[in-house]
Amino acid sequence: MLFLSNDVLLFRFPAVHPQANLAVSFQRTFRVPEDGGTYPKPRALGRFPLRLVDDFPRKTPPAWKEHGGIMLPIYRSEALWINLEPGSTVFSGTPYPFAVKVAAGKINAVTGGPWREDLNAAEQDYLVHPGQECIDGFLGPDGRARQFSAEFLGRGATREEQVTGKARYGGMQIAVWPMKRESYEEKIIPDRKRSRVAEPSAAFAADMGLARGGNIHQEVLADPFGPEVWDTENKLRCFIHLCDAWLWEHMTGEAPPDVPPKPAEYQAEGLPWLPVEYEEPITDSPEPPPGSSIH
Amino acid sequence: MELEIGKYVRDKRLALYEKDRGFSLRQVAMRIGIEPSYLSKVERGERAPLSEEKIVALAAELGEDKDVLLALSGKVGSDLQEVIRKRPTLLGKLLREMKSLPDAAVEGIIKQVRDGKW
Repeated sequence: MLFLSNDVLLFRFPAVHPQANLAVSFQRTFRVPEDGGTYPKPRALGRFPLRLVDDFPRKTPPAWKEHGGIMLPIYRSEALWINLEPGSTVFSGTPYPFAVKVAAGKINAVTGGPWREDLNAAEQDYLVHPGQECIDGFLGPDGRARQFSAEFLGRGATREEQVTGKARYGGMQIAVWPMKRESYEEKIIPDRKRSRVAEPSAAFAADMGLARGGNIHQEVLADPFGPEVWDTENKLRCFIHLCDAWLWEHMTGEAPPDVPPKPAEYQAEGLPWLPVEYEEPITDSPEPPPGSSIH
Repeated sequence: MELEIGKYVRDKRLALYEKDRGFSLRQVAMRIGIEPSYLSKVERGERAPLSEEKIVALAAELGEDKDVLLALSGKVGSDLQEVIRKRPTLLGKLLREMKSLPDAAVEGIIKQVRDGKW
């Protein structure tokens, strides 16, 4: 079961184990420069608000409704990272392990290859939590993560368009597999005992994808358990649609809860400001004509 | 109340013990930091109250929901108490309204996310 509560996605697998609960949230942050250098991870600017696509059937594009899932508002002057935490409703002395696959525009954030529905045992195309507590961007073998930063679909700037030449999906995709209950009881509980005793259409203006932004340090940790422990019979997945924050109100009727980061804030962080276009509304009208593009 | 949690804990522990001898009364008691004789009293439903901390530790040992074990002991988790203390009027009203709702309706308050066709 996949739930949305207080801007957190809750991946719950009660049929597997009462503690098999993973909480996923999306953190706003500054964009670091895309100059080839590697920067410290910038500070968090708060959590992205999340809404169900199904709650806004009149204003969301048909492809979003087909994909289901959730949506969030993002400015082009900000980047995002993904937080992974044990589910909050159940006590977890030792967090339950999960395999987590993340993609942007259906381009895998670990391998850079196309999305596949299963776990690839030959080439680890997923992350393991606990261990990996956040995902900062597209992860490279060189221990660097290229930040997730939003770009409009159809301009050739998203990672999806760079890899596939098409702006077909956009958004982000997450799939989660829990550890098999028997593996948890064999591998994790004994440890605890020891320690205790001892897209969408490119034509739609609001639709965005993720580009590879500047570099920050983050390594992909090897799966310490091996692919056989993951419960492939119990997978949950979610499509996260990215909406241009300037058009959030048009789509949802709610004002975007946050304002975009300002040049002074970038300066205070020791980061260069981005081109001015990043902080300006793309259109004067909050209501673009149907089917138009804001390019 | 004591009998209810006692039987629940004993049944769960014995089910685990069948597969793993590490779930003996003595081992589980030691891991949560109480005397085996005290856990035995708890399991027999004798008057042997456990603190919230011990109940939470016991729930983690048995792989059970801490809120279920706390409820069986007649307690509410301190985290939930804190949530209610912050908005007592609103949450008091909400909980009373929800008293007669079926589980499915309560689950609906937390929104379920639909997975579509990608």
